[in-house]
Amino acid sequence: MSDRPPPSSPPASPPVGPRVILEEETRSPPPRLDFEWEQAVVPVAAPRPSVRWSGIGRLFGGLALLGGGLAALDAANFVADQFARGPLQGWATLGVVASGLALLGGGAWRELRGLASIRAVDRARSAFLRGDLATAKAEALRWAGSVQEAAPLQPAIRNAASIEELRALLQPALATLEARAALLGRNAAVQSFAVTAISPSPGLDALIFAWRGVRLVRQVAALHGLRPGLAGTLSLLRRTLLDAATVAATDVAVDAAARALLSNRLLEQFAGEAAAGAVAARRMLRLAKVAAEACRVVPPG
Amino acid sequence: MSGLLDPFGLLRDAAWGAERFGRSLIGQERIRLAVTGLTRAGKTVFLTSLLANLLAAGRGRRTLPALEELAGKRLRAVRPAPAGVEGLPRFDVAAHLAALAADPPAWPARTEDLSTLELVLELDRQSMLGGLLGTRTVTLELLDYPGEWLLDLPMLGDDYARWSAATLERLRRGRRAEAAAEFLAFVDALPPGAPAEDSLARRGFALYRDTLRACRDRLGFRFLQPGRLLNPGPRGETPLLWFFPLPQPARGGLATLLAERHHAYVEAQRRDFFEPYFRRFERQAVLVDVLGALHAGRDAFEDTAEALAAIAAALRYGGGWLDWLTGTGVDRVAFVATKADHVPARQRDALAALLGHLVAAPQGRATGAGVTTSVHALASIRCTEDDVATLDGRPVAAVRGLLLENGRSAKVYPGEIPLRPPDPGFWDHGFFEMPEFQPPKLDPAGGSGVPHLGLDTLLAALIGDVL
Repeated sequence: MSDRPPPSSPPASPPVGPRVILEEETRSPPPRLDFEWEQAVVPVAAPRPSVRWSGIGRLFGGLALLGGGLAALDAANFVADQFARGPLQGWATLGVVASGLALLGGGAWRELRGLASIRAVDRARSAFLRGDLATAKAEALRWAGSVQEAAPLQPAIRNAASIEELRALLQPALATLEARAALLGRNAAVQSFAVTAISPSPGLDALIFAWRGVRLVRQVAALHGLRPGLAGTLSLLRRTLLDAATVAATDVAVDAAARALLSNRLLEQFAGEAAAGAVAARRMLRLAKVAAEACRVVPPG
Repeated sequence: MSGLLDPFGLLRDAAWGAERFGRSLIGQERIRLAVTGLTRAGKTVFLTSLLANLLAAGRGRRTLPALEELAGKRLRAVRPAPAGVEGLPRFDVAAHLAALAADPPAWPARTEDLSTLELVLELDRQSMLGGLLGTRTVTLELLDYPGEWLLDLPMLGDDYARWSAATLERLRRGRRAEAAAEFLAFVDALPPGAPAEDSLARRGFALYRDTLRACRDRLGFRFLQPGRLLNPGPRGETPLLWFFPLPQPARGGLATLLAERHHAYVEAQRRDFFEPYFRRFERQAVLVDVLGALHAGRDAFEDTAEALAAIAAALRYGGGWLDWLTGTGVDRVAFVATKADHVPARQRDALAALLGHLVAAPQGRATGAGVTTSVHALASIRCTEDDVATLDGRPVAAVRGLLLENGRSAKVYPGEIPLRPPDPGFWDHGFFEMPEFQPPKLDPAGGSGVPHLGLDTLLAALIGDVL
């Protein structure tokens, strides 16, 4: 044992100066400290619920509960009243109410499934990002089962040994799907260009563009094995929000350039329309690309 | 008021503030975390541990419990942002981790140049309706740089005459005077009106550089300017650096030449280092090796406090009407006593309390500008475990680890850590150099993070509100 520096304080008072005390030398060097990290991390309190009800959420929830609940109570009372009038009226009313409710439930179920399929894409991408091979494989298998182009890949996916290998296996099928999405985008672009050129009002242009855009997104999603309902389509559409700003900026530039080039009055009249059509067409192409990116089970890059 | 004199800077600030606001609206926030610390405060190790643990947390490992508690289960993935067209080297986490995990292990070498890395945290939104909008991201911008350069920050507001007078006054004080004896003799002997002779300038520069090196390496001082003289960076020493302080008032060719170089140097540092990286940031972690300063003696301890106050006085914390108008300013500042694993658990609170006294001036300045501040004790990489040693027949709390130089196991009793700046009697025990410990067993790939003490609490205080 050796001290550094030598003790300077008297034994009665607490030791003041810092010291290094070497321990007995052993034959084999001592192993490095191992805190068995992760296991050693103390468990924390249960995490707060990750989803909170915002003010607007509560508002809509309350409205839905009032609307749905009161309507259900009203329907039940009505059925009871009808039974009081006679069994035939009662059974007929019950049949109508039950069929209506079944249709509503069926619709809601499909919406939820559509939304869940979009969430599955997010799960798969997050597994790829985390490097979680087991989850990525399970998600890739589920995806390959729903997409015709990828169905033959299933045995190879099961045998993939690493995330990179899995990524490489899925790449060709994804490239094929992207090419098809681009084709769909070009078709939509041609249609919206034509419609914009002949439509009588800008308001109608916007309506047609919106309808064609939603249809395009659903077509692209179907290519990737997704069946998005309304909620699923909305969820896909919001991913294009970010790109909308970029598209708007190029729109302004192209429009200005087109107007500057053509100074003839007659040409100007026509060019204004053509430029608007070109802008709409380019938006469709971009939308197809963005929708395809949003539906990819493998994150880009 | 400097903002009014620099309209272009003001415009850039406004654009930056607008971008920040726009990004927060669409859930794509960017946070620049300025990690400031004097030399050997542990910036590189801190960044390595922070990045490794955040990346591991993104893979679902529970390496940052306090941060996890704040983020709920909303943290979905963490990844380094893809490289763009940056002109700076990327901070190489993998290489640093591999060196720490290697056998024999190596701590990162002295940082010689700037390097950056951006980390993208992907999070679920909090509200039910927000969930329909998909995930949001928080991009964390980090920068590593030589700590010596930070001391150039207080030079930005001074001209050569004021800088010379202040620097010489400091050099003539206490233990610095003995290290600076030869340089002081040289400048005092220079005739008034000395000519702009290159040999004189070179000789003075060499003496001044040796003085600063001795002050840093032998005496543990930190308030040493200019920073590039101690750490010139990848380009080495250029004639721009060949200046030194002269007794004031100085006149003649040599004084003019040195003043010109001083001015050019300050402008170069402002343009290349401070404007791009320190003019605007939202969060700041100020790392201080309190224990090292305490063990280096009274002069070094006071010097550290002085250096920290000078740096804080030169930084913009916001709070002024111009900052309010342009939307710039710092939101949170954390003062951190690093290497907290060098003291046993029951002394770590004392370490944080002592740091609180040491940074009272900068903390007051930040709080005055409306910034949320906090004080922490942290070990970026935990290298020791608590133990008990017997000294003079008494059991004392100590730490035990393996020494880096020979791999032997050793207990270290770091002395009593005072809760406030110690009385003169405290310094009687002489100077002590804390031995370097081996890092613990690590996964070279960083898969399960890096053992730390208090990093999660620090991150929760710094970025918890944006998660």
